[in-house]
Amino acid sequence: MEEFFQHCVNAFMLGGIYALLGIGLTLIFGIMRVVNFTHGELYSFGAYMMFALVMLLHVNFFLALPLAMALGVALGAAIEFTLLRKLRGADIDTTMLVMIGAWIAMQNLEQFAWSGVAKSVKTPFPATPLVLGGLSVAWSRLFVFAVAIVLIGGTYTLVDRTRLGRAMRATFQDSDAAKLMGVDIDRVYLSTFALGSGLAAAAGALLGPIFVVSPGMGDLAALKAFAVVILGGLGSIAGATIGGFLLAFIEEMGAGYVSSGYRDAMGFLLIILVLVVRPTGLFSRKERIG
Amino acid sequence: MQRNFLKAMLCAAGTLALASSALAAEAVKIGVTQPLTGAFAADGNYVAQGAKLAAEAINKAGGVDGKQIQLIIEDNKSNPTEAAATAERLIVEDKVPVMMGAWGSSLTLAVMPKLEEYKVPMVVETSSSGKITTSGNPYIFRISPTSEMEAKAFAPLVKTMGIKKADFLATNDDFGKGSMQEFTKMLKAQGVTIGASETMGEDATDLSAQLAKIKASGGDTIFVTTDVKQLTLILKQAKDQQVTARIITTGGSVSPDQLIEQAGDAANGSYHLVFFTPWFPDAVKNPEAAKVFMDAWKGAKLDVGGLTEGFRGWDGIHTIAAAIKDAGGKTDSASITKALWGVHVKGVNGDIAFIKQGPAGRESGQSVPSVYLVKIDGGKVVKE
Amino acid sequence: MRRAATAALLAFFISIPLWVANLYVLHVLIVTGIFTIAAMSLNLLLGYTGQLSLGHVAFFGIGAYVSSLASLGFSVHLAPDWLVTLGPQPVWLAMLWAIAISGFCGWAIGRISFKVRGAYFVIVTISFAEVVRLVALNWDELTNGPMALNNIPPLTVSIPGLIEFSFIGKVANYYLVLAAAIVAYVVIARLVHSQAGRAMIALKENEPLAMSVGIEVTRYLVLSAVVSAAIAGMAGALYAQYIQIVDPNIFLFIYTVTMVIMVVVGGKGTLAGPIVGGLIFGLLPEGLRSLQIQPELQWVAYGVMMILIVSIVPRGIVPALAHVWNDRVRAKAGPAEASEAGARQAAQ
Repeated sequence: MEEFFQHCVNAFMLGGIYALLGIGLTLIFGIMRVVNFTHGELYSFGAYMMFALVMLLHVNFFLALPLAMALGVALGAAIEFTLLRKLRGADIDTTMLVMIGAWIAMQNLEQFAWSGVAKSVKTPFPATPLVLGGLSVAWSRLFVFAVAIVLIGGTYTLVDRTRLGRAMRATFQDSDAAKLMGVDIDRVYLSTFALGSGLAAAAGALLGPIFVVSPGMGDLAALKAFAVVILGGLGSIAGATIGGFLLAFIEEMGAGYVSSGYRDAMGFLLIILVLVVRPTGLFSRKERIG
Repeated sequence: MQRNFLKAMLCAAGTLALASSALAAEAVKIGVTQPLTGAFAADGNYVAQGAKLAAEAINKAGGVDGKQIQLIIEDNKSNPTEAAATAERLIVEDKVPVMMGAWGSSLTLAVMPKLEEYKVPMVVETSSSGKITTSGNPYIFRISPTSEMEAKAFAPLVKTMGIKKADFLATNDDFGKGSMQEFTKMLKAQGVTIGASETMGEDATDLSAQLAKIKASGGDTIFVTTDVKQLTLILKQAKDQQVTARIITTGGSVSPDQLIEQAGDAANGSYHLVFFTPWFPDAVKNPEAAKVFMDAWKGAKLDVGGLTEGFRGWDGIHTIAAAIKDAGGKTDSASITKALWGVHVKGVNGDIAFIKQGPAGRESGQSVPSVYLVKIDGGKVVKE
Repeated sequence: MRRAATAALLAFFISIPLWVANLYVLHVLIVTGIFTIAAMSLNLLLGYTGQLSLGHVAFFGIGAYVSSLASLGFSVHLAPDWLVTLGPQPVWLAMLWAIAISGFCGWAIGRISFKVRGAYFVIVTISFAEVVRLVALNWDELTNGPMALNNIPPLTVSIPGLIEFSFIGKVANYYLVLAAAIVAYVVIARLVHSQAGRAMIALKENEPLAMSVGIEVTRYLVLSAVVSAAIAGMAGALYAQYIQIVDPNIFLFIYTVTMVIMVVVGGKGTLAGPIVGGLIFGLLPEGLRSLQIQPELQWVAYGVMMILIVSIVPRGIVPALAHVWNDRVRAKAGPAEASEAGARQAAQ
């Protein structure tokens, strides 16, 4: 029973992170129709910024977190402005290949700057976990879960209640019609990519201190983000949220009760299964082909 | 006037070219392959740094027989295929007559066929899998202890520590599995029950599933075999789950100082089998050699946590240098191989001399190093 | 003109081991050749059929593992009490198995891609490669996991009583890879210039239109996937018997990316493109190594290069050069010859 509880705790924390990653990607993918290969790099960028801020510049941990996310937003905006804007209207192959090029350049720059040795970020939380009865929850993991929920809620509010959010939704439904209706597409695209990147950076900034920060950490994260997007359906924040938690639970229970080595494979097997059996995703209703 | 000047310049240039080529001809190349990136980057970099310090020290003291030694260091990226590729590059392109490497047991095993193919000797400074010296490869000379030696050294402490039921957590490669095998054998021979034997990927960062299973098994001791990066995570996550069993790490690549710094309170109460104790330099076999090494390390302002790993590179290069010296004027692979069998070096980890191990006629060289057990208590390393 | 150039090029490549004494250079050429074959096979799927398969390294790796396991022999428990054992097979047979099984996987991917298109197909193919990598990493009993499969035997051809020849050493493997590359090129060229090839190109250009004209889209898609995967599998098998060690890192996404860069920069949808791209990106890292430029910076340069090429010369180097060359020809020639040259270019 205790083991099961431990897996649940873990799943909740990871679920929050996967949801953040998935929401960012589904917005970018859905609204801009871009296969964002740099998503994982924003994740590791967020983690490295936490390392730089907390360990090198000795910034307060709780201050560093929003700073790292802000830096991620800035980087995302920069990428959109310099790379994607020029490619508006190009076919999907070209955009994808450009994103792959950007991904390679970014990851290797990161490795060059920080070296291949993994880095640790000190957290201000006590090492002794919170003990409830016979069960223990690490403070750091609780914190990550809480912040993730706040960010998810914030994003949902932004997309559902604000003018910008309405513009984003309109663009998602039909970008041409939105343009005709006077929506500033440039601003929507910039905001979408910046927001998605910011969420990825936040995920990295949250998770980095729990584990370690290394140059390749974004690769697996990006793939999981894709899994969440497919599970939850394109452009659906709620879908991505549920998808994120679902993936985390399947991974955790699989790792705990079936085989820990294959935990990462669960997500990919899930993608393949869902795409072959129910291509529109578990929650979306939109058509999938093309 | 100009012509004379030109002639002088040409003469100078020519002399310089000759001199530099002469100097280059004087240098003896040593190929080093280590994981500078990837899962084992932390430890690989320490070993490389130790090697570089050794080369500098030897060269400053006049080199070997008047010749300078030149290290050519390649990154094997913690990957067996890449390790074999680095060996190929070092031997075929850089034409090194001798090598040191490759840190992890799986990496060293991948390099071994190349050594046989090109007949180049290699000093193994870290790997612990028994297979390395028992496969019949006469070009292997290991200065690090095998997992079997480690287990034997630990055997007398089983009763004193009161170990009744043990669990294992190790990386799923030759290093981790080999250690798990040897320690299981040793413990069973003393009547200890073996609980869970869990493995983890070299790159895995979330070990909570394995730890949950180990906790459920209810043993009093967990033997962990991995490098310092995963160890930090294991200690932290074990604390998160309130794992009460005592943790004993094997393999020696644990950098207790780094653990204290990065795992903080979670590191207290853990035991570590190491092969060099920089905190008690007088307790080692060759305190003078240890002092020289530690002074060089600190002088280069390197991370103190790396002392327990960097010494391997230091000892390895000194061993090779001693062999080159004994080989007289010859710097070809065959002479160095022969000379390695006769070296006696006062290394940071005990006296280095090679005994024969493996199938008759194709023995590998194995030294018998020292093994120590230390404990982390109250944020410090204490003797056990 | 073109035939003479091709013959000269071929003669040049065949002659290389005769005047290149540096074994390491030969080694680089061999590995470059193997990856170029893989790039050519990717080009079939990516360039000609327009399918964005980013899991291509899976076929390469599957070929490598199947060939290695079959030639080393293996014994694995498919169920707690069901032990399956295979003794070591002759390497040529193991390589045939590799080609067959990779081809089969290509068939499966081809069928899936019919249901799932565009960006989703990309994700499925990447996921497929990742799953295969994780299986190779974790199924230690079969694949040895991170401990790698070592001592893989080289290819040996024997006619009992007459000759027995093992492809050991750099020179032998160089010619083996060169021969395989020529075979792969011929197969792909044949396919592309056949009716099937034209159907594939129609499929890439405008799928609904192709379907409306009665072209059996699925069939040609699957065909190109099978051939593409089979050739990649062959390249993988060659790699395994030359390098003689195989570990799960062979499935890393970065190798797919390398092949993609080779095809895209060289020129997707052209026969010469992947060869040019393959030579550039196979030889460049080694050339740069002597300049002591750190590998990370090299890769940054490749990334930037890819961005530039895809944005500025989206069709790649070979088509761009061909364009320049044809412009020159057209400028020099009169109107009649110019239109002939133009027609020839359009037919490519």
